[in-house]
Amino acid sequence: MLDNNSGEKFTGASRYVLDDELAKIVNISMALEMPLLLKGEPGTGKTMLAHAIAESLRMPLIVLNVKSSMKLVDALYQYDTLTRLNDSRFGDSKRDVSNIEEYIKMGKIGQAFTSDVRTVLLIDEIDKADTDFQDDMLDVLDQMEFDIIEIDKTIKAKFRPVIVITSNAKKDLSDPFLGRCNFHHIAFPEPDMMRRIIRVHFSNIDTELMENAISAFYNMRKLEAIEKKPATRELINWIRALESDADFKPKQLADGNLPYIGVLFKKSQDYHRAQRILNGRQMN
Amino acid sequence: MEFRNSGIEIIPQSLNSIIQIIFMFVDFFYKLKDVGIPVSPTSFLTLHKALSSGLINSLEDFYTASRAVLVKSERYFDLYDQVFAHHFQGAEMPENEGFELDEMARVMLEAWLQNPESLSQLLGVDESALKKLTPEQLIEYFKERLREQTEEHHGGGKWIGTGGFSPVGHSGYHPGGMRVGGVSRGKSAVKVAMDRRYKDYSLSGPLTHALVGEALKRLRNLIPAGPKDQVNIDATIYETMRNGGEIEIVFERALKDRLKVILAIDNGGWSMDPYIPVVQTLFDYARAQFKDLKIYFFHNTIYSNLWEDASRCRKPQRIEEFVRRDPQTRLVIVGDASMAPYELFASDGSIHIEERSGMPSIECLEFLAKTFQHSVWLNPVSATMWDYTRTIGEIRQIFPMFELTIDGLEQAVTHLMQK
Repeated sequence: MLDNNSGEKFTGASRYVLDDELAKIVNISMALEMPLLLKGEPGTGKTMLAHAIAESLRMPLIVLNVKSSMKLVDALYQYDTLTRLNDSRFGDSKRDVSNIEEYIKMGKIGQAFTSDVRTVLLIDEIDKADTDFQDDMLDVLDQMEFDIIEIDKTIKAKFRPVIVITSNAKKDLSDPFLGRCNFHHIAFPEPDMMRRIIRVHFSNIDTELMENAISAFYNMRKLEAIEKKPATRELINWIRALESDADFKPKQLADGNLPYIGVLFKKSQDYHRAQRILNGRQMN
Repeated sequence: MEFRNSGIEIIPQSLNSIIQIIFMFVDFFYKLKDVGIPVSPTSFLTLHKALSSGLINSLEDFYTASRAVLVKSERYFDLYDQVFAHHFQGAEMPENEGFELDEMARVMLEAWLQNPESLSQLLGVDESALKKLTPEQLIEYFKERLREQTEEHHGGGKWIGTGGFSPVGHSGYHPGGMRVGGVSRGKSAVKVAMDRRYKDYSLSGPLTHALVGEALKRLRNLIPAGPKDQVNIDATIYETMRNGGEIEIVFERALKDRLKVILAIDNGGWSMDPYIPVVQTLFDYARAQFKDLKIYFFHNTIYSNLWEDASRCRKPQRIEEFVRRDPQTRLVIVGDASMAPYELFASDGSIHIEERSGMPSIECLEFLAKTFQHSVWLNPVSATMWDYTRTIGEIRQIFPMFELTIDGLEQAVTHLMQK
């Protein structure tokens, strides 16, 4: 059997605040041996979830960062022709040039398949790749095996990895793809959830600071025509910055005096825009 | 050899309840399908597998699991919630969702403004009584009527239009020909309506417009831009030979089309009708040409939204959101740019009431032109006539305008490819 860890359940890791619903979905997907597709805007913790699953199940995490130019075979294995060419020419390595297998390197999916323990395989930002890549990849994940054409060898998964796929939904995924995954959409955390998240990161944070920062944060997310809205990560960094400033008083935030907004707005256009709006508000 | 029922043992007395449970799920499944959530039989079987996994022990578990397994887009989550509530908790279906009603009431208002007589006849009320009402009151009145309508015809337990029947404002009363009965929850109906319109555009006409395609091909940005990370085998062999056997590896860039294009088409109003065959061809070719092509629709000019669907009612895209796109994206607008000047300059210029955002269209256009530095406006109207229409002149100041002809396209493409 591929599955030797099915008894384990996922309950959430130390740094990741997990709602019950999501935990259930993760467990169901593991039981059904289906990939879990996570959608949601950036900063909702899609990637973090995979880290948390790996941590709490004590499995190694393998991350495949999908690129738009990526071909499926890159994710499976690489045949390092250049090294072989080099070896055949200079012959100063211990590798056997006539044995192609020595020049095959496993890609991320290949690593997950050949690993001696069960792994968590995170396929990050699948929407960047084209549909062919997506469909072919799911075939591989369905069959749990792939061929290395160069040496005519089939690689079978030793253990079925726990697969988490994330998408920023820039493109719609194809129906066959969706058909083979379980789906969950992570909404941007509500202020309540955000408080819990902040508490996880700052165990003894001043309540006034937290409340004011969170409310200022949600207000700033509402600003229009911002290219990249600040997300959870930015809020955490911002609070860290505020905390470390000795002169800073939480009351300032309520008055609309927001220091360090460069932490929240990373694009210079956004920054200037936000700055302008905030200055305008303060004068009123 | 003994035959055994592997797996499930059915105890006679519980047979009924098992059948009941199965029927309950099958029923639920079809209900999801009926309201337009694309659920597949395979996923239904998967759900059954999940049920036998022992992980689902409560209705809440079932709710979560079946959503993850059956519903593959957040767009349908709300719908799922309502079907679920109705099916499993015996809760009433929400009578109507405010938004849907608003939308329909608006359509009715438009129909009313166009032809008060026939609408009041349909509603069976006195035209003069309605005439006394302000637009706001009218909308309220229409909403009220819609609520009644649902109750009368569907016993209150269903949505408007899923029964395929709505006496008010069927196609023909909206200038765009939108089916009012289909605006409601019955997504499939809307989908059909949408598909039809979409199809109209992508139908391949006779290839007499082949030259349009030729010109569009130039849009393909085949100028290599990425890192030189591919080995050109042929060149490598050649250079190695030339080098007397010393290996000389030739790298080159991938010839990859990195061009992103946003195509916005004016598909509304009779003034564009004569040009639709040409736009159609353009559309056809464009589809095949680019990897990342987004097509949006608008009517006359752009206000706060562009629409992803040709019927311009389901999928608005706020233009502010476009700042997040790659600024290198090429923006191509196709439209005759001919309209009443107030549509361009008045802050509430749109002829559609749902588009009144307070920002004059001219500012929205400027915003887009600023966001995408590579942009053109293709105008099917002959360039010799441009000076006679004021709005064309105004829009030309914002977007470089070219004729929708082969020559014009070539110029437009050259312009788009400028650094």
